[in-house]
Amino acid sequence: MLAWAIPTYTPAYPGYGASPALMLNVSVYVMLFMAILSLIRISVAVYTNRPVCSEEREFPEDLEGDDGFTQVGRMNLLHLARVMIPCVLLVVAIEYIGYALASFAFLMILQYLIGSRKWLQSTILSSVLVAVLYIVMRYGFGVPVPGPQVF
Amino acid sequence: MEMIFAGLLDSISPASLMFLLVGVAVGVLIGAIPGINGPMAIALFIPITYYMTPLTAIGFLVGLNKGAFFGGAVSAVLLRTPGTPEAAATSWDGYPLTQQGKGEKALRMALYSSVAGDIISTFVLILIAAPLAAVALFMGPSEIFALISLALTVIAGIGTTSICRGLIAAGFGIAAGLIGTEPVTALPRMTFDVYQLGSGLSLIPVAIGLLAFSEILLQLERFTVKGDSEHSANVFSSKLEDRLVSFKEFFSKLKTLLRGSLIGIGVGAMPGLGAPVASFMSYDQAMKRSKNKNEFGKGSLEGIAASESANSSVVASSLIPLFVLGIPGNLAAAMLMGAFMIHGMQPGPLLFKENAQLMYGIYGSLVLASLFLLLIGRFGLRLFCKAVDIPAMVLYPIVIFTCIMGAYLGKSSMFDVGVMLTFGFIGYFMRKFDYSYVAFLIGFILAPEWERALQQVVIISENNTFMFFQRPVAMVLMAVTFFVIGRTFWVSINDSRRKKAEQAMSAEQAKNG
Repeated sequence: MLAWAIPTYTPAYPGYGASPALMLNVSVYVMLFMAILSLIRISVAVYTNRPVCSEEREFPEDLEGDDGFTQVGRMNLLHLARVMIPCVLLVVAIEYIGYALASFAFLMILQYLIGSRKWLQSTILSSVLVAVLYIVMRYGFGVPVPGPQVF
Repeated sequence: MEMIFAGLLDSISPASLMFLLVGVAVGVLIGAIPGINGPMAIALFIPITYYMTPLTAIGFLVGLNKGAFFGGAVSAVLLRTPGTPEAAATSWDGYPLTQQGKGEKALRMALYSSVAGDIISTFVLILIAAPLAAVALFMGPSEIFALISLALTVIAGIGTTSICRGLIAAGFGIAAGLIGTEPVTALPRMTFDVYQLGSGLSLIPVAIGLLAFSEILLQLERFTVKGDSEHSANVFSSKLEDRLVSFKEFFSKLKTLLRGSLIGIGVGAMPGLGAPVASFMSYDQAMKRSKNKNEFGKGSLEGIAASESANSSVVASSLIPLFVLGIPGNLAAAMLMGAFMIHGMQPGPLLFKENAQLMYGIYGSLVLASLFLLLIGRFGLRLFCKAVDIPAMVLYPIVIFTCIMGAYLGKSSMFDVGVMLTFGFIGYFMRKFDYSYVAFLIGFILAPEWERALQQVVIISENNTFMFFQRPVAMVLMAVTFFVIGRTFWVSINDSRRKKAEQAMSAEQAKNG
């Protein structure tokens, strides 16, 4: 950020007021300072063979190793991919095959991936949800649904 | 006086009433679902309010938030799984009552306590916000800059166990909030040549991603990877005395209700503390002062009254710093601030001067929302109890798809959906690694105002670095900011030492047998 993004993508100082980069630099320096401070604390703890953190954590099930730090397990990353990949595919597909088809396929795939094997329930839920949101957006708010317009 | 009547009349227009009613009902329903809370509901529903008038929109969102606060008690009482964090103390006495077949009685007590706390707090807001705002009007850009600095420092400690991680999150939020057109040069800043970023990152996709989408990712993870699922006890007795709260029972808890409401008002008015602190403080005080201390934790109506009156009174009182200073005291207030900005208004003392009629309309909506909550809760209680049993397989796809379409709805842009997914992804890791998404969001919302105040200070003072020393209030506020940072680090170091000493002592005790 400090070496490339801020100097490249911030306008030059116009000669009055504060520099456009000032607040960005301050926020990034705060982040950097806090990160270095935490790193020193961890290094000292590791060097003196003490536990790094003893706070109660929200996700104790993710703990791996003795250092007390949260580590996202392989299963969790797989789960993340299971939800994120269909979402990203929906964003791409909706532009090509339209709202109805893409959304229906997305919902069916998502339900399958999270473990639903009740095909009838999945089909009904997907159809109803796609239809309800279409009606709400098209007729309730007058907003065109994303992708090519069929109706 | 004319303004007051006009505003109150606006609040009882059919459209305002209808959306307020819908807001409260949807809020209770959403709050009852474990894991979905008020701010998350506001983030999901803000896109809809684009198509409403400002009063209807704010009324709808306030109703949603009030409803969600009570809704959180439903799953807390029936499942011992608080729908919202502030309902945790309610579950301590609510769930034992459910096990005794008195779940309905516990919920009714929670409802009446919520409404009582809410009404008291709303009247306090009405009485003190406008006079305080008149005083706040004397604040210049130096004071505003110093005040936002203080608010960001206080808020950095929320939602994380480490002030370092809180400040990193706040810094990240500020950096994200500064993306877009720079106010002095009117040139794009940090847009990476992506033209959609020219007007900055929209609050709606960022809030939906951080609050709703990342939360659903985590809940889904618990459900699919760890196989967690809850089932409602839903034990309802048919005996009338086990279902209803008598006048005698209610009025015997009046002192607790008043104390809880006052604690909630005090805590809510201070930025950064939030409803969970209020409900735990109130519960603790009620237990210490009660004649029946032994009943606490085993199904005491007094415990429910203490917790619910305190957490519900935070809803209105957290609007005091927002209306008076333009600083959101908690996440729900931050989301409401975003809604004000979307409708072209800047929350703060000028709101009372420039939009007086709207402000009185909002006051009217706040009072009506409390009454609607009482009505909806009174007659729809059993229906809302069904919400806790919605199967995860049905709920999660609905919420994920609503997140995606909600992000799209704001600007009818798929780019915003991409932003929402990106911040959902970032939010997932922020939560996992204990970085405060609350500090991020508040930093993101306040960053443009913070920079504007700094630019004004620098331009007015003609680059005089010592401008702050000429403004005593600003100087005091900056001094308090540095004191808060220093004190937080000091407390954190002391806590860490104490914990280490305790751990060493317990290890030694274990060694000695």
